[in-house]
Amino acid sequence: MSEVKIEKLCKSYGPVEVLKDIDLTVEDGSFVVLVGPSGCGKSTLLRSIAGLEPVNSGNMTIGGKQVNDLPPAQREIAMVFQSYALYPHMDVYNNMAFGLKFAKTPKAEIDARVNEAARILQLEPLLKRRPRELSGGQRQRVAIGRAIVRKPQVFLFDEPLSNLDAALRINTRVEIAKLHKMLKATIMYVTHDQVEAMTLADKIVVMNNGRVEQAGRPLELYYKPNNLFVAGFIGSPAMNFLPAQVKKGGTLALSDGQELKATLPSSCKTGDSVTLGFRPEHMTLGGTGNFALTGTVDIIERLGESGFAHVRLPSGQTIIAEVRGDPRTSSGQSAKLTFNAENLHIFNAEGRRLG
Amino acid sequence: MRKPASAIAVHGILILYTALALFPIILVIMNSFKARKAIFGAPLALPTPSTFSLIGYDKVFGDSSIVSYYLNSITATGGTIFFTLLFGAMAAWALTEYKFRWNTLLTLFLAVGIMVPIRLGSVAIIQLIVELNLINTLTALILVYTAQNLPLSIFILSEFIAQIPKDLREAGRCDGLSEYSIFFYIVLPLIRPAMATVAVFTMIPVWNDLWFPLLLAPTGGKQTITLGIQQFLGQYITDWNAVLSALSTAIIPVLILYVVFSRQLIRGLTSGAVK
Amino acid sequence: MADAKAGAGNAIVGMGRGSYAMLLVFFLGPAVVIYTVFSIYPLLATIFNSLYLRQPDGAYIFNGLGNFQTLLTDTTWSAPFWNAFRNNCYFFLIHMLVQNPIGLALAAMLSLPRLRFRATYRTLIFMPTMLSVVIIGFTWQLILSPLWGISKMFLNAFGLGFLFAPWLGQESTALITVSLISVWQFVGIPMILIYTALLAIPEELIDAATVDGLNQFQAFIWVKLPLIFPTIGLVSVLTFVNNFNAFDLIYAMKGALAGPNFSADIMGTLFYRTFFGNQLQLGDLSMGSTIATMMFLIILIGIMCYLFLIQRRMQRYSF
Repeated sequence: MSEVKIEKLCKSYGPVEVLKDIDLTVEDGSFVVLVGPSGCGKSTLLRSIAGLEPVNSGNMTIGGKQVNDLPPAQREIAMVFQSYALYPHMDVYNNMAFGLKFAKTPKAEIDARVNEAARILQLEPLLKRRPRELSGGQRQRVAIGRAIVRKPQVFLFDEPLSNLDAALRINTRVEIAKLHKMLKATIMYVTHDQVEAMTLADKIVVMNNGRVEQAGRPLELYYKPNNLFVAGFIGSPAMNFLPAQVKKGGTLALSDGQELKATLPSSCKTGDSVTLGFRPEHMTLGGTGNFALTGTVDIIERLGESGFAHVRLPSGQTIIAEVRGDPRTSSGQSAKLTFNAENLHIFNAEGRRLG
Repeated sequence: MRKPASAIAVHGILILYTALALFPIILVIMNSFKARKAIFGAPLALPTPSTFSLIGYDKVFGDSSIVSYYLNSITATGGTIFFTLLFGAMAAWALTEYKFRWNTLLTLFLAVGIMVPIRLGSVAIIQLIVELNLINTLTALILVYTAQNLPLSIFILSEFIAQIPKDLREAGRCDGLSEYSIFFYIVLPLIRPAMATVAVFTMIPVWNDLWFPLLLAPTGGKQTITLGIQQFLGQYITDWNAVLSALSTAIIPVLILYVVFSRQLIRGLTSGAVK
Repeated sequence: MADAKAGAGNAIVGMGRGSYAMLLVFFLGPAVVIYTVFSIYPLLATIFNSLYLRQPDGAYIFNGLGNFQTLLTDTTWSAPFWNAFRNNCYFFLIHMLVQNPIGLALAAMLSLPRLRFRATYRTLIFMPTMLSVVIIGFTWQLILSPLWGISKMFLNAFGLGFLFAPWLGQESTALITVSLISVWQFVGIPMILIYTALLAIPEELIDAATVDGLNQFQAFIWVKLPLIFPTIGLVSVLTFVNNFNAFDLIYAMKGALAGPNFSADIMGTLFYRTFFGNQLQLGDLSMGSTIATMMFLIILIGIMCYLFLIQRRMQRYSF
């Protein structure tokens, strides 16, 4: 069992609180991705778990063992750094073997483990090379190999793909997913890239300002975001938000007078101010949804198969809708956007999801 | 350098200055290989088979102590470089990597030694060395030179250590290295180029110094080559062959070292290590 | 020395207070001990010594600032002191007026774009700086010696033979001759420091100046020179510290008595003579310390001037 449990974890740099009351469980064998904007505390949380940052209070257990006061090496974790952090003065073999040597692992055992890792990661021909003789992707694999040979309870990845170019990033992402399946390892992974998060994770943890905003399965976050922050953070382009007022009889009135008729959750009261959210990919230009908004097309960004129409409503707000194929609409024309009731998200004045 | 005329002028000035810089050195080396008559008769001529003579060198190396003075210099300089680099790198590592209450204060304390010349404390240094019964020993020189060179080396090495990516030190921690092992197995190998620069900076002034050998080890066979040559010259002041040969004996090894290390030295100077 | 590792505790995770302290002692201990014992303690002890006076029976008694009063006002002491101080000021002035401008000019030429043999010039011009002052001193002594006649030969070649004089031996010219020899040896230091600063100036800036219609020389005066003022300030303070601490060259060329009638005597030689004694007087620990303390104060004032007057006003540019 290599479950990671974090309870009431707090950390501050002087007066600045960077982690506030974090509670999180990472189940054995699961792949958990921490996402959030830069400075949200996701890397600090990962480094605290690794033992690279001291924490102020709270409790951390790895595989049932309390690790709060253990140095990194005794926590049975392995970390893959953003910059890979390969030792420049050692060849690939020694980069992987270095930690084991210090753990007084028998020579034969080291050899076996390094060769096994090299086989898995296709590093066998590179074992005698120095890091500077390797490409970015190869360095990345060595960094992962160095983690594998330690046979840790938990793998910690700190933005491991951000130094790779776009094509290699997609490849490596798939490799990491395969590796997870093969090793059945417990993985915690920090990224700011939500595509990585959506594709890799069993569970996504969205962080903001040192707090966990929501943790859940990727599609749960996508379809049922708990609050405005998560709704806006997950999905690309971001969800459209429009302020509205609840009118008598369950009608939602936008500020420019357009009205939408919806079945509202019981917690909605007449007169409440709410925020409506709908994703660009759930709207169609023209079409027949049960909701419709009209506005003027500002511009259409065409990406090929699909594109994004930026539509200005009479109130002056712009919303983005995905368009498929080649709509015969151009800038300045008026447009009607439709979408279905089940794709409407409603948030109360505090930004919490209603219903 | 678009106009050839100005290019020629610039090269002209530089060549003239270079000649001015090299002329005395070449003159001494050249004449050291000549017989006395030729030294005075044709001082600007190269030695020819008829004027060639090694009589001066015979005198210099006949004074067997010159060789042991060289060994003294090598020991004193080598010892100083070793301790300056080792203790300097250790302190630089602690000052850059670890947080502790007196960090800033200690840094300022060390900065004093960069600007204030240690020579001004010579009176007390002699008393201290006498007290420690280290007068006329190379140990005394090594201790004083190490103290003299530590501050600057700590600052140069700190800059380099700060450039080692933080991830690398932390990878070491994750790999189970103690703080001591991180320093000796990861940090030290990575700052080797910086240490070479500091070594050259340390070597030249220590090798050339006259003051402390004169004060701390003036007799008893523990003279450094610089002091030894100075004493030798004083003794043979009228013997031009001996004087010129002694000077050349002192110049040539330094020139060889300089040519070998000049790239390292100039790179160190131009990399902004000393600012 | 800010480090992102400031955390809840200062210590490393999983390391107790005791072992953290041990760690610091291990890494900092040797350097701090050697530096304190052989550098800071002697400086403080010298200042302390300067406050005591040696009695005829060999005992030392506390004399407050009495030694300084003696040094500055009692003519037996003050005449040599002011002489050495004045000479040292000339020594410094000659370096500032000759060494640093030449260094600047050489650096400016070396940093010209597309100059060939740049590295060769740089290496060769820097060469005398590498050699021991003792060797340089003796070499020039030989060259200037009327006995060998090299200098006379050179002057004759230009029809200037009548100018020749035993410059090192004359009271009126000994100091300036020694100063120029020191300039000759150390010109490499300002050259390299300024050269480095010039190299750090991005070429686009000079290209921009060229587009604005400035020629190479104007671009140097109006664009590069203002940008290297901080380096020139640094070179000046280094020159100051080195000059007021100089000893080797004068001792090597003129001995502890520093030339005919002390005409080339500077603070360093005065200090040495006072402390160790010579043919004319016995060594005096108290007065030696007093002179060293004066040198310390002079150097300190120089550094303070640099830090508070010059460096503060100068803007550092980052490219």
